Amino acid sequence: MITRQLPMYRVVTDHPQLLPLFPRFNLKLGFGEKSVEQVCKDHGVNVDFFLEIANAYLDELYVPGEGLSFFSLGTVVNYILSTHNYYMDIALPGVEEKIHLLMDGSALSEKEIALVTGFFNDYKKDFLAHISQEDQHILPYVLELERQSTLERTDPEFLQKLRSYSIREFEKEHDRLETSLEHLSTLIIKYLPPFDDLQLCHQVLNDLAALVKDLVDHADVEDKVLIPRVAELEEKLLNTPFPG
Amino acid sequence: MRRSGFILAIDSYLVRKGMVSILNRMNGIAILKEFGTAEPLISYLKNQSVDFIIISQSIFDNSADLFINYPGLLEKTILLKEGHSGKETPGDSNIQAYTSIHLMEEKEKIVWKIRGLLDQNAPKKIEVHTAELSPRETTIIRLVSMGLTNRQIADKLFLSAHTVMTHRKNISGKLGIKSVSGLTVYAIVNNIITIEEVTSKPAQ
Ligand SMILES: [Fe+2]
Ligand SMILES: [Fe+2]
Repeated sequence: MITRQLPMYRVVTDHPQLLPLFPRFNLKLGFGEKSVEQVCKDHGVNVDFFLEIANAYLDELYVPGEGLSFFSLGTVVNYILSTHNYYMDIALPGVEEKIHLLMDGSALSEKEIALVTGFFNDYKKDFLAHISQEDQHILPYVLELERQSTLERTDPEFLQKLRSYSIREFEKEHDRLETSLEHLSTLIIKYLPPFDDLQLCHQVLNDLAALVKDLVDHADVEDKVLIPRVAELEEKLLNTPFPG
Repeated sequence: MRRSGFILAIDSYLVRKGMVSILNRMNGIAILKEFGTAEPLISYLKNQSVDFIIISQSIFDNSADLFINYPGLLEKTILLKEGHSGKETPGDSNIQAYTSIHLMEEKEKIVWKIRGLLDQNAPKKIEVHTAELSPRETTIIRLVSMGLTNRQIADKLFLSAHTVMTHRKNISGKLGIKSVSGLTVYAIVNNIITIEEVTSKPAQ
């Protein structure tokens, strides 16, 4: 369990699997002896939110929900956005490069290589579409909804839109991004001929597993925190009578 | 996913609430009822079916008759014992519950044991994973994986191109996979087609 008094360097030395979280909060290394609280304060990060996310990431059983309900939707949206950036700029290109290297140095047939690279390319397209739908439509909508809820009187035009749209529509078509990566791992582990470069192959499998875990956590934040809270707020706005 | 129904029969309030908090953090579990004594538990079990009972040693001893007389109940029982695992404290009864948890055990170990039970309780997965797909859809995903176009599939199966399209849409909807490459890898890892069939086939 990570607490606010813990020196930040201990968070990293004890739980290196948390490293991918740091760029999302714009936290750079070089912590010295500063506590979690101090580091967060220095970087303008909400320490409670950081603790909630970090502990959720560590605890396999943790289903985010209650703990994250104390933060504004804006805070949650920002975190989702920076997680998306991490996927697009770091995680996905990183594993892609390794997969290409693995293919280049392998004894696989041309068709087997085409199967893997074609699969990954199509996956990347789906991934990009998923993220940009959220970045360009869903998350701005959530921010606007939260803004409207703070106004004395909801904008009638927005209210009109609310009557015909709900976040529940997004929920229905919200795909799981990790499934295909699990298929890819299984393909490598069970069905493709063995790779000579065992080291690289293991790195690819490790990267895939880490990304799968990250995506599961991410989808939890979207499905179990964002969507229910947005749906609740939608209800609330629709049921607020006009001030007389 | 279907959730497994748990009831808790534990006399210590603190232990009971501790167990509730562990179970609440696990997926696939519904806590149906909590009891602190044997009598209400016995009358509950006579009328209701449950998947698992977590029970403390003393309540277990006080309702031993029930567990002997009702077939199958013992298999659902998780006995909470005093102390650490390995250092067994003999209970009064001579009947044995299937699984036991010790009060001094680490959370991870407790969770691991319960997970194991849930897995046993889950319907067994079949090797060829086509449960989600109809036989027709399975045939179509095979042909798609071999690189056939919708037109070619339609000709082969004596269907209209429109029908094939509808099947393709349903398959993608069920699996959440749209691309041909995604469907192909799905078919391989679910043993619908072999990788040799996919890669050795001359281009159509
Ligand atoms: Fe997302
Ligand atoms: Fe998403």
